[in-house]
Amino acid sequence: MMPTASQLRLRTILFWAVPLLLLALPLSTNSYVQFIANSIVIFSLVALGFNFVIGNLGQLAFANTALFGLGAYGSAILVNTFGLPWILSIPLAGLAGAAGGFLASAAALRGIRLYYLAIITLAFGELMRWLYVHGKSVTGGTDGMGVPAQSIFGVSLTDDHAKFYVFLVVAVLLFKSTLNLLRSRIGRSVMAVRENEVATASLGIPTARIIVFAFMWSGFVVGCAGALFALHTSYVFPESFGMLHLIVSFAMVLVGGLGSVIGSVLGAAALTILPEYLRSFPGMEELFFGLIVIAVLLALPDGLASLLRKLSPIFVERYYRE
Amino acid sequence: MTNLLEVEGLDVRFSGLHALRDVSLTLMPGQIMAVIGPNGAGKTTLFNAISGYVRPSAGSVRLRGHDVARLSPHSIAEHGIRRTFQNGGLFPALTVLENVLTGLHAQTEGSIIDVILGRKQALASEREMITNARALLALMQMEHMADTRAGDLSGGQQRIVEIVRTVASEPPVLLLDEPAVGLSPLARDQMMDIINRMAGEKGVGILLIEHAVELVMAGADRIMVMAAGQRIAEGTPAEIREDRAVLEAYLGHA
Repeated sequence: MMPTASQLRLRTILFWAVPLLLLALPLSTNSYVQFIANSIVIFSLVALGFNFVIGNLGQLAFANTALFGLGAYGSAILVNTFGLPWILSIPLAGLAGAAGGFLASAAALRGIRLYYLAIITLAFGELMRWLYVHGKSVTGGTDGMGVPAQSIFGVSLTDDHAKFYVFLVVAVLLFKSTLNLLRSRIGRSVMAVRENEVATASLGIPTARIIVFAFMWSGFVVGCAGALFALHTSYVFPESFGMLHLIVSFAMVLVGGLGSVIGSVLGAAALTILPEYLRSFPGMEELFFGLIVIAVLLALPDGLASLLRKLSPIFVERYYRE
Repeated sequence: MTNLLEVEGLDVRFSGLHALRDVSLTLMPGQIMAVIGPNGAGKTTLFNAISGYVRPSAGSVRLRGHDVARLSPHSIAEHGIRRTFQNGGLFPALTVLENVLTGLHAQTEGSIIDVILGRKQALASEREMITNARALLALMQMEHMADTRAGDLSGGQQRIVEIVRTVASEPPVLLLDEPAVGLSPLARDQMMDIINRMAGEKGVGILLIEHAVELVMAGADRIMVMAAGQRIAEGTPAEIREDRAVLEAYLGHA
């Protein structure tokens, strides 16, 4: 069932109302809960960007965590080495992520797809991590590099409550832009490539360029998220962008729902909160984490978003707008 | 009248197999030419070579005098030669309307930046295309299906949507690979009606692969017969009916 006209209006209202209500969240949280909330905002963006490539485009891509790192390091270097205000580093980190997305997917222009593209993006990701470790003079190597305290318009961004507002604004902008894309000819072409690339080309759509663009947009979103992450932890080091984190963000997309924007939020929220509860089982955390992810995927192969869609057509995504 | 599509000496070799030998044909605006022949005659290979999915080893494909052979499939489609697929080329997870809108991709205006920022001109063009797409669906009595997932349609409905999607951009040349296969007699008549109207009203030149001989005899202006990768005959339905080479290819004797 597709949403009706009035449900679409309600959806638009909800899209703006939810973040507006969230503005009140810092009033009721201690700094621990606020830190978790900030992580959820950032990983929602990571999942959103990742989902664009594996869910909407339907290509296996493993460079995303590296692109996240590119954004984080890009931001940290711009702030630390070049003294740029952190807020300005966000779009630049996004562009760095997009450039990384281009490099990771350029092989698609030569007809490389799926498993082959996956292994290339994986190699690219590991190469980036190698650079973070060995580019000691720029990145601080395994010790990582700190991000000095920041402020915007004279308001200090040292505490998690203040950071939340900036993170939320950036997230809303990126979610809105991604929805704009998905509900346009560009988004439809991205999904058409997933469904049937041969038929997509027969409609005059340059499929290889669409693939590269999808990787670049994914890289942009994840790169911006990286800049947020740099301030969030105020320290970046290579271990934050390794294989384990790649698998966790992959799981976020699957638990939330492949190709679902709202699923990206749900997946990121669920898998950010879950480890906090598992802290009471020391030594068993990873085991329980894995088992719970498997259980969710068995019960809901289309992710948590499919629950919402069953609840109301308001959550069914429509890829055009009148 | 000028020739719309001129295929000359088209040759395709797969390692060891000479799949298409020196095939030529000429298509006028508004003309329906059926391509018939036994299985393995090279009909689909001919379509693949014209639409760029298979690289011809020799020969030319000219659209209004402009050689498009050896371009990529998407540029050939952009030039105005569009095709459907034998095994169906719909996007099952997208709705009927979204499928038709992908056919209007090149007509939709607005740069990627306009789209990301949700600028007015991009939205206006999008709205216009949606109106066009709905009108086309209405023409085929499919408008009530606009928000149905394409994968949930019956086989016949899927074929019709695929054709609507392919003709949405009003291409001058259309290649239809067995559009009526698997259709009920009623749907088949409806399909032939659509094809005739596109040729008659819009002046689209249509190449049509079809196995149902009675359909071809009734609907096509000209018929090209292929066997073993070659063109063995070409003419009006009446001429083809009398052709000895055709009888031999189909029946093994004259």
